[in-house]
Formats: sequence, structure tokens, C-alpha cells
Amino acid sequence: MDVDPEEHKPDDGSPALDEQDELRAESLPAEGAQEPIATTALSPPAQDSATQTPAPVPQPNPESPYRPNYRPTLMLSGHSRSISSIKFSPDGKMLASCVKLWDAETGDIVHTFEGHAEGISDVAWSNNGEFLASASDDKTVRLWSLETYAVVKVLQGHTNFVFCVNFSPSSAMLASGGFDETVRVWDVARGKTLKTLPAHSDPVTAVAFNHDGTLIGSCAMDGLIRIWDTESGQCLKTLADDDNPICSHIKFTPNSRFILASTQDSTIRLWNTQTSKCVKTYTGHTNRTYCIFADFAPGRKHIVSGSEDMKVYFWDLQTREIVQVLDGHRDVVIAVASHPTRRLIASAAMEKDLTIRLWADESTDGA
Amino acid sequence: MGVSRLRTLRHRPLLVALAEVYLDVIAMNRTVANIFTSPYPTAIQTSLESYATIARFDPSGKLIAAGRQDGLGVIWDLATRGQVRWLEGHVKGITSIDWSQNSRYVLTSSKDWNVIIWDLASDTDPPHRQATIRFDVPVVSASFHPRNCKIVLVLLSSGEAYIVDLRKEYRGRYELCEVQDESDDEGQMNRSRAVFTAARFEPSGKHVFLGTSLGYILVFNARTKTMVARHKISGAGIMRGLEFVASGRRMVTNSSDRVLRQFNLPIYPSPTADNEYIEQELEPTHRFNDPISKVGWHAMSYSPDGEWLAGGAADDASHKIYIWDTAREGLLASTLDGGRELLAYVHWHPHKPSIASVTNLGNILIWHCPTEERWGAFAGGFEEVDENVEYEEREDEFDIEDEADMARRKMLEEEEDVDIEDGAVDSAISAVDQSRQPSENDEDVLWALEEPDDDAQGWKMKVILEDEQD
Repeated sequence: MDVDPEEHKPDDGSPALDEQDELRAESLPAEGAQEPIATTALSPPAQDSATQTPAPVPQPNPESPYRPNYRPTLMLSGHSRSISSIKFSPDGKMLASCVKLWDAETGDIVHTFEGHAEGISDVAWSNNGEFLASASDDKTVRLWSLETYAVVKVLQGHTNFVFCVNFSPSSAMLASGGFDETVRVWDVARGKTLKTLPAHSDPVTAVAFNHDGTLIGSCAMDGLIRIWDTESGQCLKTLADDDNPICSHIKFTPNSRFILASTQDSTIRLWNTQTSKCVKTYTGHTNRTYCIFADFAPGRKHIVSGSEDMKVYFWDLQTREIVQVLDGHRDVVIAVASHPTRRLIASAAMEKDLTIRLWADESTDGA
Repeated sequence: MGVSRLRTLRHRPLLVALAEVYLDVIAMNRTVANIFTSPYPTAIQTSLESYATIARFDPSGKLIAAGRQDGLGVIWDLATRGQVRWLEGHVKGITSIDWSQNSRYVLTSSKDWNVIIWDLASDTDPPHRQATIRFDVPVVSASFHPRNCKIVLVLLSSGEAYIVDLRKEYRGRYELCEVQDESDDEGQMNRSRAVFTAARFEPSGKHVFLGTSLGYILVFNARTKTMVARHKISGAGIMRGLEFVASGRRMVTNSSDRVLRQFNLPIYPSPTADNEYIEQELEPTHRFNDPISKVGWHAMSYSPDGEWLAGGAADDASHKIYIWDTAREGLLASTLDGGRELLAYVHWHPHKPSIASVTNLGNILIWHCPTEERWGAFAGGFEEVDENVEYEEREDEFDIEDEADMARRKMLEEEEDVDIEDGAVDSAISAVDQSRQPSENDEDVLWALEEPDDDAQGWKMKVILEDEQD
């Protein structure tokens, strides 16, 4: 699908992206110097207006909550295949994608990890940034050391593609889920499976630990979100909406009281884990086919997600309004990542646009 | 699908609300008394093969430090049930183990005359030794000051007790000596032969309690090292061990007469210029015996709230732990049977209904409250109830609601703010904080906090990968 010229907002000085393997980090003109591409829409479908002023606020008042004002800063190219997952390191210095390592400040490639025989679906950092785990279609999870850049462990056990992976907060354990419909909990130090949870009846699309590692959340294509007790491996709860749309991603909130779940009916929901009720719904983006990541934006007052209409969306956490939409990618934006400390977002897109873009909010207003 | 049909059951019975409490409790891992799990463990969850003679939980309850007969110390990670650190250094058996407040430092004492403090935050295995304190006789026990792990209490096999201060300003070894009462000749003769046989810090760190071979408990102020009280425990014989509840208000003693005695402790006055001390016989509130074979006790441990006492019996036929209800007249609540391997040590988990007991073959048994898997958890919106509930339809149960109205109502419901960040305090850490009793202005507390240790919250232990073993 070619890019519709009407929609094309000039965001960088260069022409179309053609090189696949060249490593390039383009620095995009900083804020103020170019036409702003960030539009703020207040009601869902109308985002294609080209506004000349940044972020028009409907009722400006002194106490208005912080509105994100992200601008593109860098564009990282180098991947030859679709990027399926990107994550910032815990100290924020690096960005990992499947499977390359980028410097988050300059955009240079630090390393490319070789070793997986097949494609990679997910990467995860250990809590101290020492290890990187990658989940692959070759049915293994590989652990890479950031000191030696070598594989230090190969976790074998899944009987089909491994789709998602995440470390526990102490990083002594790792959870992975895959097309064999199970979630496996691994002992990182010994490289062995601790538990196999009969999690779902369809491929598992995401696993996550809560903030203290006592719970594991998993979601799958059967539309269910399940919460497991890490110690005993027992299922504690199942969250499901009426229609069971395919659930593509989940994440616990920092206090573990809520789960942010993306589903393929173009909706993101926030579930209260204690009452099992959905307390917030975020719509306006498109998500019908791919497993698109969602995250809490830096500052934790917004939700950020990619979309199949090639844009990155921001919603206000409480009011559920769309507060910013970022244009620029030329294909489905499949992954987004929030920087742990700075107001920086990374987004990655699929085949027709193999770039990772970094967006920063340099404005000083707001929380 | 069946799930949507079940969702029409909008009126959720009372028992459903209780099921949510269950999830809340399990999710937050608190030991708040709840109607679903018992406050003390009932079954063995797992056994760790360790060749250990003693084993203690760390303050977070996620690790166990085990001391072995061969002098090796081992740190177990309970989440993975793996041995994550090896404390190599002692050449003879380990006699006691202690953890610092935030689990960063581990102290081991040994028959090889040494006390070693290990820093678990170091990147290596075995961990870096923060300090080695050497004596000239075997060390019976050693423990950290509860608030500053640079202050250590040591009991030697010669019967002497020392406070070893590793801080620059106060550096030194301070012997704790019983005050001799010159007027009482007979008493003086007796006491001069008495040696110390048990030594513990009381949980606030203000005082040190020492048990003597003649059935006395002496209380010393940790800062001034002066004796502030002497308690006779009549009938006890040699004092073998002391344990406190977290608040420091109650204490249990183990002695050679094979009786565990529980006492309510008085408030001790600050030390005076002329070193006055209280002389008072203490009467126990309860006595606990082995009901069957009258054997003694190897160890005892209070539950985190002090409501329950676990006693590890020196039974020579089987591994027995007795659980008494201290709130109800010391009633025997339960007897845990751990099989044929005899018991050597017992320690209660810092905030869960769980116990670690060590067998004479060195295995560490972890006891827990087993939870039945709730099959209803696998279906969303479906709650199990124990009894049939008569369902009463609401007046508007079958009204067909306008779609737009429903959507609007949902939008309204969603207006409520959510908080995604607060309440995330790790339950283990908050439990530790709650046991801080005396006010921060207390002179003894201030003294202890001078030149504080660097055992800060939030440090993380590095994951060290095991080498491939084929």
C-alpha cells in the first residue's frame, strides 16, 4: 500500500527509505524548525488535519493536565526484516530490537546479535541491564550477555514458536509464552524450566510479571487474560470481555492493581485485577490483525500504542481522550517503548518501513 | 461462548466478594488473617537438600541462608529453589546465621573462632567479605544490631559476650559484664561462676539480653553497655535460647529444664549515672512443655505478629514442630510432623504462614499452607460458591436496555480516575518498617544510627549463571 500523498507529512529531510542494510541514524530537525506533524485530535476519527500550531488545547486553563508534545528526533534504520519488538534498557541508555542493540542517545547500532535460526518475536531486558532475552520461532529463548554479546544460555523446552518473553523483577526467573499454548517459567541461573503452566487454548501472545514477581499475567489468542500465582503456578483469575477478541498484549501497572490489555477489536482496556472489571477503554486506533504493543508513556499519565494505520497514538490515562497522534511511519506501527526516565518514545514499524523512530518531548510544561 | 452467558448473572452473591478478598490477599502476599488460609503452615511444600544445620529466612522472605557442618554457608533463592551464593570461608561448622535489615549482609559465626560478614551485593560468588572478626575460642552465636549491621553481638564458648562495633568512631570490642553486688557474698560467689549461654538483641536494638548458666536473664543497654536489669528465672537451669516477638514486648526462653517460658517484658529505664539496675524475678505468662515425651527444644520461633509460637522439639523419634496459640492461653493449636529425619532448627517466615525447619540430615523443609487450585479461576466472571445460593431476580433483570444508554453508562463509569502507581510498596518491606517501635528521637536509637550501614532498600542481587554441566 503506497503512502497517500495527502497524508504524508514531511518529517525528515530525506526521500523515501530504500536502503535495507545500511546502518543509519538520521537526526531529524528539532522542534520548531519544521512543520509540526503532531496533531492533537479530541474526537477519534478526525486526525488528518494539518495544523500549524502545536497541540491546540480546547480550553486552556492554568491547571490543565500535561499534554504530551512529542516530536521526532531520530530515525534508526538497519533492519532487513520486520521488527516485532523494541524495549529500552532499564537504565535508558540503550534500545534493543529484534535483535539489534542501539544507543538511545545517538542512534548508533551497538551490536547485532546473531544466533537464532529463525525469526524473533520478542526481546526483554533483565532488571540490571545485564542480560537480554529473545524469543524465537526456532522454539528457543536465548539469553545474551551484554558484557560479551555472546549467547550465555539457550532455553529449550517449548514445542512451538516462542512468541513473548519477560524477566521477573529480580531477574532470577523468566516467563515465556508461545504457540504451544503454554507459559513456561524458567530459572535463569540454571537455564531450566521451573514450571509449565497450561495457560491457554490458543497461542500465548504476551506474558508479564507484576511489580514484585508474585503474579504472572498471560494473554492469548483465545481472548482470555489469566493471572497466575508465581510460587504455586496456580491460576488465580481469568479476565475476559464478552466477545473474547484476540488479546495481543498485556502489561501490569506499577502497583499491579490494573492490567493494560490490547485487543484486536481496536481497543485497549484497563482491567482492575481485584474486581475483574474493565475500568477504562481506549479507542481510536486500528488493531485488527497484528500484536501491537501498548505501554504507559513516560510520566505515567498517558497510554501510548502503535496502530495499523501507521500512526502512534497517545491517550490521556484518566479521560481516555486521544491527546496526540504521531505520523511518519510508512507501515503498521507494531511496537512502541517508553523510556524509563526521559520523555522519549521509540516506535517500530513493519516491512514497508523498517525504521525505528525516536520521539522526544522537550517541552517543559506539565508534570 | 459460555462466558458471555454467565455474565448475565449480574447480581453477584456475597461469597463472590469474599473470593475477591482471597485474590487480594494472595496477590499482595500478606499474612493478614483471612478466612481462607490458616495463620500457621500445615504441610510441607518442598525440601531443599542442603547438608545444613541451621537455616534462616531473610527479612524479605525470599531467600534462605543455610549454615553447614563443613563451614560452608549457602544462600537459597526460594523462587527458583536454587542455590545462588556459596559463602566459602569457614573451616569448621557454622553455629549461627543472621541477616541485615534489607538482606544485603549475612553474618556467619563458626566453631573456627571467626565471625564473617558477607556482602551479597558484590558481583562475585563467593561474595566479598565485608569483615572478619576473630576470636580465640569457638563462637557460639552472633547477630547484627537490628538497625545497624556495623554493630555485632557475639557470644563465645568461653561464656563471654561482646558487642563489636565496626564503626570508625566507636570501633572496638566491648565486653558485657555482669554487675557484681559486693554486699551479697554468697550471691557474688555464685555469679562469678556464671557464664553467658545465650545472647540476643531485642528487636528495637536498645537492649541486649543475655542468658546465664544459672538461670538468670541480664538486660544491658546496647549503647552504654551497662546492665539495666537482672531477672531470675526460677527453675530454669541453664538458659539456652531467647526469642522475641517483633514488637519486643514478649520473649520466650529455652532452658535446660526443657520448658519454654513466655514472659511479658517490662519497660526498661534509661541507664542512670550510677548504673542502677532492676533486680526482679520474672514470672512467665505461659509454660510450654513437650506434651508427650518431655524432651527439650532445639529452637523456637514466633510468627510475624507474635500470635503463634513454633517450637522445634528435640524429639528423638521424629521431626516435630508444635504450634501454640499465644493469644489463647498458649493452647496447642497444631503439631507438624516432618517425618523420620529428626529436627535440628526452626525459623518462621518473616511475613507469611510458612516455616523452615532443618533436619538432622541437613534437609531444609519449607512448610506452607497449601491452597487448593480453584478451577473456577479458569473461567472469567465465574465464581465458585460453597453452597447453593437462591438467586433472586431483580426488578429490572430482564429489561432490555437501550444500547446507547448502556454505552453512555459505561462511559460515565469510566470517568472515575484510576491510580496506577500508588500502593506498590513491597509488602515485605512495609512489614519490616512496622516493627520499628521506639521513636527516632531516642538517644539509643540515634546512637545506633550514627554512621549507618549501607544496607539500603532496593539493592538487587546479581543473577550469576551456572556453568553448563553436561
